[in-house]
Amino acid sequence: MKLEDSQPKQNKIRTMAKQGFHGPLERVNDCCWRIPKSYKTGMRVDGLIYASRQMIDQIKGDQAPEQVANVAFLPGIQHASLAMPDIHWGYGFCIGGVCATDPDEGGVISPGGVGYDINCGVRLVSSNLFLQDVKPHLRKLVDELYRNVPAGVGRGDKYKFNPKELRRLMQMGPAYLCDRELTTDGDLDHTEARGCLEGAIPEYVSERAVERGSGQCGTLGSGNHFMEVQVVDAIFDDVAASTMGLQKDQVCVMIHSGSRGLGYQVCDDALKELRGVPEKYGIHLPDRQLACAPINSPEGEHYLGAMCAAANYAWCNRQLLMAQAREVFARVFGRSWQKLQMNLIYDVAHNIAKLESHCIGGGDRNVWVHRKGATRAFPPNHPEVPEVYRDIGQPVLIPGDMGRASWVLTGQAGSMEQTFGTACHGAGRRMSRTQAVKQAKGRRIDQELASKGVIARARSWKGLAEEQPDAYKDVNTVVDVVHRANLASKVARMRPIGVIKG
Amino acid sequence: MYEVFEHTADLGLRVRADSLDALLVDAARGLFSLIVTNLDQVKAVQEKTFRIDASEPEYLLFDWLNELLYTFDVDQLLLSEFTVRVDARGLTATCRGEPMQPGRHEMDHEVKAITYHGLKVQKEEKGWMAELIVDI
Repeated sequence: MKLEDSQPKQNKIRTMAKQGFHGPLERVNDCCWRIPKSYKTGMRVDGLIYASRQMIDQIKGDQAPEQVANVAFLPGIQHASLAMPDIHWGYGFCIGGVCATDPDEGGVISPGGVGYDINCGVRLVSSNLFLQDVKPHLRKLVDELYRNVPAGVGRGDKYKFNPKELRRLMQMGPAYLCDRELTTDGDLDHTEARGCLEGAIPEYVSERAVERGSGQCGTLGSGNHFMEVQVVDAIFDDVAASTMGLQKDQVCVMIHSGSRGLGYQVCDDALKELRGVPEKYGIHLPDRQLACAPINSPEGEHYLGAMCAAANYAWCNRQLLMAQAREVFARVFGRSWQKLQMNLIYDVAHNIAKLESHCIGGGDRNVWVHRKGATRAFPPNHPEVPEVYRDIGQPVLIPGDMGRASWVLTGQAGSMEQTFGTACHGAGRRMSRTQAVKQAKGRRIDQELASKGVIARARSWKGLAEEQPDAYKDVNTVVDVVHRANLASKVARMRPIGVIKG
Repeated sequence: MYEVFEHTADLGLRVRADSLDALLVDAARGLFSLIVTNLDQVKAVQEKTFRIDASEPEYLLFDWLNELLYTFDVDQLLLSEFTVRVDARGLTATCRGEPMQPGRHEMDHEVKAITYHGLKVQKEEKGWMAELIVDI
């Protein structure tokens, strides 16, 4: 029984949700806008939003800039509270938000700055197949992927880990899967942090989280998560593309997923444990969703240990999703994945906090960089970039929507100077889910996509309607800003031809 | 009674009821209506009881829905009937439902988490009202 008679209240709340930002936004340059720290008493640094002039009016349409200002209250924050061009309203932190905190200055760690889906991220897998090789088999390939890769609500039954194995997996990341021949050294070399955050303390992950995670490693989930068969549509940097092994019309697989129920539970547990903690340490917050604890405190250390363990689990999840994609390709094309050269190009996290060394005020300092819907984008010659990519910079993977494009970029020097080595993470939603469903009424999104050469499979009409291309902003405009701001540089545009959604 | 309201990336749930007991029942129904489209087809064949202690109504609603979400995720148990009794310390609930069967149950959203964003439970002139946003 649904409530139909509450129109006035509903309108009031909709207005609240749409309430815009009326604070100051000063132009720094064509790609960057400042909220000065004088805007609110308690802001320790400025807010900086990376966006074009065209985007900024839309960004002011909701409370996301206010959230950028609120994050500037966090103790120990360095340089500025930052937001990428795909900024939108989130929980406490905006999506697209970046902040770095220094433990030596009383810096805090905040689960809201990481998000529920800890180490949600993207990986890109190459192949030696080209569009013309795959086109005749595309429907079969997509159907097989859909049948074999667990997606949607619930768990898979392919990979089982008992609690002891799961704790080992959380300690080691995908290296744990080497014994089962589900990970190669090459895969590890091409995964951010080699898929293993050293601070992981699996004992800090609750029984509940372990229970939720035990049957979900190697499953896609739902929402905006996907597995896509893509082709290289255009190349913008020949040297970087050839270093990554990318050629025009080549077929690749992109995977977008995170830490599943395990990560959600770790975040949830932390938010519960942090009730009352900011007050205990005398931390004044303008929004209770910015709940945090000093990095050097028992509460902070507990969350960090669990968060790092969940991040390692997420890398295993994407590793197992890739393993399943490799198996399906091998079956459909009658050759092993090694013969199909389905190598991991790179895997990046976009919901994470990491201890990194950055140059601040002329000296190197170790800070915890929170990336909430933002991607690491380290430049050429950075020691953490795999050797093979050392000359071109770290690959940055930006998923778009299922009808238009996704992007491959490389991190550039500007990211270290401006954004703690960070770029954007995606297109960002334009429409709410309910709005998207309403807009799709009477339409067959799958047929519309098929007419554009994209075969899409999802659990339901509604699932596709919510995730239809029109529900998202144009990823190209987001990528343009990070390119112009010299945070990351365009290498290749990818076009989807097959889509698996939960 | 519950309804779904808009949020940019996720979904909101607004609930109204005569009593706090009924509010918590309807919120639970609202949550499961996001997970399964045909909630009315979920048979009450299995029973589970819950005890939740919380200091204030917002946390009570939050912890209650969180517990249900956890139960669904771990046991794959869809719940459709709820009896809730609120006392001075929290709530006691009896819930009925059945294990998820993807063929028969039309699965809809995977709810990642209940959030604190805009979370409110209010006593109004005529009964109670609650709002919350779930992460999808």
